[in-house]
Amino acid sequence: MSYRDFHPYLLSLLILFTAVPLAFAASGFFALGAVMIAAIAFSHTRNLLRATQIAEQRRRAADEQLCRTEKLSTVDEISAGIAHEINNPLGIIAQETQWIQHLLQSEPLKDAKTVGDLRDSLREISIQVDRCKEIVHKLLNLAREMEPVIQGADINDLIKNMVALIEREAATKNIRVTKLLEPDLPIVYSDPPLVRQVVLNLLINATHAVDKDGTITVTTKSNENDSVEIAVTDTGSGISKENLNKIFTPFFSTKPQGKGTGLGLAICRGIIERLGGRISVTSDVGESTTFTIHLPIHREPEGAK
Amino acid sequence: MPSQPKVLIVDDEERFRTTMCKLLTVRGLEASTVGSGKEALEKLRDTPHDIVVLDIRMPEMGGVQALSEIKKIDPQIEVIIMTGYASVDTAKEIIKLGAFDYLLKPYAIEELIERIDAAYDRKTERSRLKAKSSQDS
Repeated sequence: MSYRDFHPYLLSLLILFTAVPLAFAASGFFALGAVMIAAIAFSHTRNLLRATQIAEQRRRAADEQLCRTEKLSTVDEISAGIAHEINNPLGIIAQETQWIQHLLQSEPLKDAKTVGDLRDSLREISIQVDRCKEIVHKLLNLAREMEPVIQGADINDLIKNMVALIEREAATKNIRVTKLLEPDLPIVYSDPPLVRQVVLNLLINATHAVDKDGTITVTTKSNENDSVEIAVTDTGSGISKENLNKIFTPFFSTKPQGKGTGLGLAICRGIIERLGGRISVTSDVGESTTFTIHLPIHREPEGAK
Repeated sequence: MPSQPKVLIVDDEERFRTTMCKLLTVRGLEASTVGSGKEALEKLRDTPHDIVVLDIRMPEMGGVQALSEIKKIDPQIEVIIMTGYASVDTAKEIIKLGAFDYLLKPYAIEELIERIDAAYDRKTERSRLKAKSSQDS
């Protein structure tokens, strides 16, 4: 039990201990009134605190979910960053080792007594470099090549959940998020966590693009060709025609240095293509940008309930 | 002795590019270095090269952008990309943009030389076919 649970009791006792003696000094009717006021105050304060606690629990749960989903969407980027940061110095170590190996073959050193030991040490360095390389690539593959787990997903629900995660932060920047979701959208058989990762990535990008005072619109609709369309439109500064062609290219970023790795959208495209869909972008500079995902509905897997 | 390709190494890590240059030179290749995509473009405008070995992640102009600019200067130049990170998607993207191949850091110098030889063979074959078709017409 937290200290907050004592608040209604303390408050009611305070009312009781101050009001009742005063009321008794006046009349029995006032005394009854004071007891009733204390009871009402107790009940209301307790209800109010319970509601506050529930709201806080929900907020914490939403924060945790956002944190988990953001972690998912950044795990690829982190792994790619680690791969770069570690493999570059490893590249230098490997080359220096090869250069020393070359120098050891030169005349004055070739027959020196300790050359055998030196070569042995260099071989060991090379083995350990390869070992580090393996570890980094395994880490990278672990993050990137998870096989999709196909489940039925209500895309409208999925979008509502993801929008809820960014809405609070968007509101602080006066960004309004509008949902235009087609009712009775068919269930999509896909990998919901991966779709969530892509949708959240697009929504976060959209809030960055708008920066402040603007609108993000998320629409869904079903297409005749057995696919569902998800579109995220922002009223940000737009993307130039030149950059539009490169937007899904790995390591391409219009964000300031250190703010983006240029892998987010490349990973989104990788995921959507892995799920059998496609992702595209259109933009009017100074007006808006729309990212559109087409996801195949697919059939319910055989044997599934 | 068959002719050796003229190789330009582009990497922002000074130590990496100079040691690579020494390793290629002692194996008989004609190699030189620059530290950025911009410098590479300037150098290639002045002096023709056969092969460019290009780091994908560099400040200012990244390897992917440098690759497309290099191809504008001379579409015949073969470009080998070096990266500390690669996945199937990245690799496909790099090849689609016109690179000959890519190498994952760290690698043995023999691997690089093998790719350089293969890239040079393709370049020579292309030039030969081009010369033949212009002779025929």
